[in-house]
Amino acid sequence: MSVDIHHTGNIPGSSPRRSAFVNLEKVIFGFFIIFACTLNFGFFIGDLERAELHHPMELLAAVVVNLIATVLKFGDRTHLGTTHLATSLVASLQLLAASLVWVWRLYVTQLPLDGEVTAAIVSLSGGALLANLFSVILLLGETLRQGR
Amino acid sequence: MGDVLFLALRRLRAPLITLIAIYGISVGGLALIPGLDAQGQPGRMSIFHAFYVISYTATTIGFGEIPQPFSDAQRLWVTFTIYVSVVAWAYALGSVIALTNNATFRNAAARHMFTRRVRALNEPFYIICGYGQSGSRLAHSLDRLGNRLVLLDPEPHRVDRIAIADFATAPLALVADARLADVLEDAGIHSPHCQAVVALAGEDSINQAVAIGARFLNPAVQIVAREKSRVATANLEAFGGVQVINPFETFAFNLGVALRNPEVLQLEEWLTAEPGTPCPQLIRLPRGQWILVGYGRFGRAIADVLDRSGVKWKALEPGAMPNVDRGLVHDDYSASIANDPDIASADAIFAGADVDAVNLWVTTLARRANPDIFVVIRQNHTQDRALVEAARADVTFVQSELMVHECLQLLKTPMLGRFLTRLRDADSAVATATKQRVRDESGEGSPSAWTFECDTMQPGMFAAFFQLAQHPFRVAHLVAEPTQPAERMRGTALMIERGSDVILLPAADTALRPGDRVLFVGPPMTRRLQRRYLTEPGTVSWVLTGTEPPHSWVFRWLHQRMRGAV
Repeated sequence: MSVDIHHTGNIPGSSPRRSAFVNLEKVIFGFFIIFACTLNFGFFIGDLERAELHHPMELLAAVVVNLIATVLKFGDRTHLGTTHLATSLVASLQLLAASLVWVWRLYVTQLPLDGEVTAAIVSLSGGALLANLFSVILLLGETLRQGR
Repeated sequence: MGDVLFLALRRLRAPLITLIAIYGISVGGLALIPGLDAQGQPGRMSIFHAFYVISYTATTIGFGEIPQPFSDAQRLWVTFTIYVSVVAWAYALGSVIALTNNATFRNAAARHMFTRRVRALNEPFYIICGYGQSGSRLAHSLDRLGNRLVLLDPEPHRVDRIAIADFATAPLALVADARLADVLEDAGIHSPHCQAVVALAGEDSINQAVAIGARFLNPAVQIVAREKSRVATANLEAFGGVQVINPFETFAFNLGVALRNPEVLQLEEWLTAEPGTPCPQLIRLPRGQWILVGYGRFGRAIADVLDRSGVKWKALEPGAMPNVDRGLVHDDYSASIANDPDIASADAIFAGADVDAVNLWVTTLARRANPDIFVVIRQNHTQDRALVEAARADVTFVQSELMVHECLQLLKTPMLGRFLTRLRDADSAVATATKQRVRDESGEGSPSAWTFECDTMQPGMFAAFFQLAQHPFRVAHLVAEPTQPAERMRGTALMIERGSDVILLPAADTALRPGDRVLFVGPPMTRRLQRRYLTEPGTVSWVLTGTEPPHSWVFRWLHQRMRGAV
């Protein structure tokens, strides 16, 4: 079984191409992994307790892109592929937990965000960021090995 | 989970990504579009509310509850969202349904389910490869005896039949080619509960491959294979470790036994019949001229046996080369059966063609010329059973019946088979004596057979051979009623195997030794009661000495003290 098997699956709008320059699948795969990480980082950055520095739309985007990245990794049974899937699952779960905390605070307890809850939300997304970083490291390691 | 989950996830990647993306865009858009807040002031819907609205519109539930009336901009966006998301859902659900209808997926799911169920089996089971006439009969017989079954057949319509067949416990069945090693592995050949692999496929080559594969995968498991040709039989026997049943040779062999020693065959039929069957009629085969209709593998096997017994025969076979020396006649049956001069003088006819209709009309024609002729008929298809029975032949060959008989004997009581082999070589007086003894001691109905092992790892046997060694443990003790040793249970000891020695029809006072294996026939009740001699040292002591030792530690201590005092 080849190492880059998760690149050969059928991703919508692409066919397995063996072009010398661009492999669309690899582009899409790498795009979503890095995009998930950057959005996550964008939401995470800023003072931990200040709600105005962490925009909800960015969290929404991070959740959506993370979910897509997770689904992209489905069905790959290599060791690397399953590790990829695991990191994405962790990141998605952390981000969903962060959103849930947010929704609970605003709509169930009906209280505005204070520093404590904001810190909880942002640190949950921080955990997701770590998982996303692992994903990127895996991607880089694999890319470097392919390049040689 | 393995294959199935991964296959499903891989196939559903595209619809899932589409769905997530559309949800993301719709929710994000709805949260960004300008709207009105609770006071009617310009404001935006929160992401949570947007997700709620999109969730019920996208799934076409259309709940209708909204936090605030929508602005026109929001209405515009929701209209767009409805169309896009409904299409995305239709795509996703369609993919799921297509996947569950997909043959590859269904096979993978069925295989997965089968493997998991086999792995969960924690009682003895048998693997039967080939669910044809013989396979299904054997499966039903083993099922009636309370065994779990794993059935393999490459034909889907045969496996479908299993689901509606009448089984006490539903067998685990898979549409698969048992020649493939992974199929046998999934069918549980490595399981410690796997008792035997039985290869009953239609073709010799398949059974050969299954038997050899099974032998390599698990040399410890019992393997029984049916082979119809002599070459395949010889090959597998030379391979070793596989018990081969050739139905034609077996039947011919039995005919030979009947010619030489009819009592042995009668006893054999009786002892191996379903429990409760009355003793069959003694078959006295005529030793005069035989007519063999059909000279294929079956006819040849019969001819060889007749030759060995010194019986004259003449064979009719369409298309065969005439061979006058061996009495073989090239023929299309119809003309010569009616006008054959030999028919009137023949004593027996063997209707052994592989078409039931031919066998039936051959029998009829022969009887017309010679009403007293002895008829041996072959039944090829179960569906023709009524017709063949109506022919009222003296002996009927039904392959599936014979296979079930032979397989059960090999699988359930191999020791009975060894006893019967000994019996064939012995004098016919032994067979008569055995029959008389079993009738006297066990009754008229055919008994069931079992082996009693004097296994000293069992507490009862340990007591009998080591703690109470001064009292010899005899065959008579094993048929004594455990609670009232003066009463005798119904049942007969037929044979003792002691190392490589064999004692046929042991006398009641024969002393047993550790490691002896005793073949018993009798009602199942006797077997159940006999088990107490294995498990209960107290019962053994009771039948041997007439006293039952105290069970608990306190009473044992008291008992010893009292004995010491006396």
